[in-house]
Amino acid sequence: MLQDMITGKRPLFVSDVHTELRAQVNRKRRINLLQGNLTTNVRTEESGVSARVYKNGVYGFSSMADYSNEAVQAVLKAATENAVFMDSHIKKGKGMFPTIPFATQALNYQVSDVDQKRYIEFVKEIDNYIAVKYPSLASRMVIMSEDSMEKLLSVSDGLDTHTVIPRSYIYLFLNTETKDGVPIEQFKPIGGFGNFSDQFTDPALLFPEVDKLYDVTMQKKEGIYAEAGYKTVILGGDLSGMLAHEAVGHTVEADLVLGGSVAAHNLNKRVASDLVSMVDFAHTYEGAMAPLPVYVDDEGTPAEDAVLIKEGILTGYMNSRETAKHFDMKPQGNARAYLFSDEPLIRMRNTAVLPGKSKLEDMISSVEDGYYLTNTNNGQADTTGEFMFGISMGYEIKNGKLGRAILDTTISGVAFDMLKTVDMVSDKMTWSSSGFCGKKQPMPVGMGGPQLRCKVMIGGR
Amino acid sequence: MDDVKKIAQGTIEALQAEGAEKAQCTALVSEKREFNVDGGEFSLFRTLFDKSLSLMAIKGHKKGNIAINRFDDEAVAAAVKDCIAVAESASEDEAWDIAPKQEDRKVVQGAPEADVDLLFSRTKELLKDINERFPKIIVEQMIVSHEKTNKVYCNTSGSVFDVTDGVYEVSVMFSGHEGEVASSFFGSGVITADLDTPFIELGTLKKDLADVEQQIHQKPFEGKFTGTILLTPGCLGSFISSIVSNFASDGVLLDGTSLWKNKLDTKVADERITIHIRPEDDRIVCPEVYTNEGFLSEGYDLIQKGVLKQFKLSLYVANKTGHPRAKNSAFSCVIEPGDTSYEDMVKNIKKGIIVGRFSGGNPGTNGEFSGVAKNSFLVEDGKITGAISETMINGNLADILNNLVAISKETVCDGMDVLPYMAFDGIVISGK
Repeated sequence: MLQDMITGKRPLFVSDVHTELRAQVNRKRRINLLQGNLTTNVRTEESGVSARVYKNGVYGFSSMADYSNEAVQAVLKAATENAVFMDSHIKKGKGMFPTIPFATQALNYQVSDVDQKRYIEFVKEIDNYIAVKYPSLASRMVIMSEDSMEKLLSVSDGLDTHTVIPRSYIYLFLNTETKDGVPIEQFKPIGGFGNFSDQFTDPALLFPEVDKLYDVTMQKKEGIYAEAGYKTVILGGDLSGMLAHEAVGHTVEADLVLGGSVAAHNLNKRVASDLVSMVDFAHTYEGAMAPLPVYVDDEGTPAEDAVLIKEGILTGYMNSRETAKHFDMKPQGNARAYLFSDEPLIRMRNTAVLPGKSKLEDMISSVEDGYYLTNTNNGQADTTGEFMFGISMGYEIKNGKLGRAILDTTISGVAFDMLKTVDMVSDKMTWSSSGFCGKKQPMPVGMGGPQLRCKVMIGGR
Repeated sequence: MDDVKKIAQGTIEALQAEGAEKAQCTALVSEKREFNVDGGEFSLFRTLFDKSLSLMAIKGHKKGNIAINRFDDEAVAAAVKDCIAVAESASEDEAWDIAPKQEDRKVVQGAPEADVDLLFSRTKELLKDINERFPKIIVEQMIVSHEKTNKVYCNTSGSVFDVTDGVYEVSVMFSGHEGEVASSFFGSGVITADLDTPFIELGTLKKDLADVEQQIHQKPFEGKFTGTILLTPGCLGSFISSIVSNFASDGVLLDGTSLWKNKLDTKVADERITIHIRPEDDRIVCPEVYTNEGFLSEGYDLIQKGVLKQFKLSLYVANKTGHPRAKNSAFSCVIEPGDTSYEDMVKNIKKGIIVGRFSGGNPGTNGEFSGVAKNSFLVEDGKITGAISETMINGNLADILNNLVAISKETVCDGMDVLPYMAFDGIVISGK
């Protein structure tokens, strides 16, 4: 656990500016077993202290890899000097943002460590199960990844906090090829919030997941190429979560709105059918913990849900304290930094399309000629909302019935056009949290959604 | 100031004392100064003081890695013990190894000392140049920095490399706007060792800004055809990176899924294509001095006149597969230019598109790719007829290398790679 050298340093803060002082440690543990070869066997820790100072519309920031009283004083001094330098040259003359009442929040979770040997043995048992039971696979890989961010924050106004976000996952990759030699890869992440020892107790408990992934891989081995064109599809929960994050979420981050994103001209306008609502959840979803909970952000703002789309109308942005002032909105705890040496940026937390009332089986039976797209292996979008998602698993739908699996393809569209075509939303929610969002810095994020019936461009061959 | 060399050497001695038969260590200190512009306005000035210590130990043919960012005695001692424990936990694998003794090197390259005032002036000048010369452009984010790093590598073979680098880096994300109509965003960047030239004159920044202004009124087109794609240098770099990753890198050679696994010294591309991985090229800023395993870096040809000459392999995978290791672990890609001007390349296209950026899924190991052509123009009968949106391209990474139309005689260097424009045929291009 981080030693507290932060609390009590407020007297060192300069008056008439906003100051954030943060100590942080990021831990990573990783094991890669490729075809039984231990290709990665790594433990890393990065720790240090940083300060950020806001003065008249500009920020100064400084960080040091040391964590000592001297380092705390040094980063406060350098950050203040940098803010003064910028203010004297740029002269924006913007005032301070509204204050947040002082409070404190104590640590609510303890990070625990595991010997590397235990990780390796765990992964080896799974790998051995795959190798023995499914020898005909072209190749296999099992990855264990555990990471955590622990932060101590002291701010000139707002919440002083001690927080930690730990995640642990096992990733399974199975490879084979079709009779025509087309390579097939399927992967599945298993895990979520918490220490490895909390998530994983017995490798045998994961064997059914291996079996399910193998079955899907074999279905795909017999798969066909999708027919290219503008098609009616049902997006699975992984895909609607990706859509919420990549194609809509980024465009409603207020810093990107100021950079000219499509959301700049669409506030309080219809951007989706009235079946679509979208929220960036802070820490709680339907009374339970959201995948990666954020209770206070790195500007000392208490986190609350940000409603982005309500019944098809774009209702809000995600903000820092600075952009919230600019747009006359309430900051809701979206300013987060990845490493001690990173400044807080506007980031998503747990972004999701809300579930509706339709049943998946009714949605499938309603499609005469289309696809049910269940899994994605990557996604990209730009600030116009135009998106591209890689489809790693899906099925054709013919006359209301699921048909053959399809081979890898891509879908594309423009988010605020495509969301207007959503005409059925399922009642089942799927969450994921195993990836990193990239925006100058990486950041662990959660995303989720129900199945959506809509129209997109699908790539064929 | 930490004595980086002393820390690296002390760490190697400690790893040996703890039983490591072979070990390597890199100690690094860095200072970074960075200006940020967001939404077209200066927003942030950062000063970062960082350090890292990376350890690798091999004991009984078992390998472990540890990385920390502290140099104090207690932290280093704990990291050494942890590294040995991690190695002892691993499986035996005789392929793990490090380089034998190399000639020691002490290198200072680039611009080790930052001129912060001039850096700030050049940054302001760039913002002013963009605002005045490209008024329809909104700078979403601009990051301009100088970073000085001093790293010392030591290993149990007795090699010591002491390298100090200083690099200025410019990265700009922008989009074009007219009222509510906007182009896709685009990123352009360059690294440089001096501040002699206005930033707007470096790399492809000026052309990229001009192109994006022309893409504001991008439109989807109807239909589907098989035609030519002309890749800009920046877009070509991402395709070459995918080709290397799919056919010539560690993972696909180790698991045997590379289409090129049996193709060393055979033709895999048009004979006009030569791809060097050449850190010693004098256009590359602060090139790699030594490899990840402690060899002195040398250039090599990945593809020479269409023939595959080398995989991009680490020592470990080279030992596992029996193929030669790559003589550097950088990606300083230098592609030989052709004899056609860019202008003539466009004129020679019957029907195709100029692709500025590709937003696609990860290509399969068979090289099939599919994705959206971003920041792109339609070309018909040798003329650019408009910017396009919502356009998908499908093809195969292995096939395109044999479907080369032309390579430009112009090349562009962004400080990291030297790349021409390249045009390929046989791509399926689908509109809405």
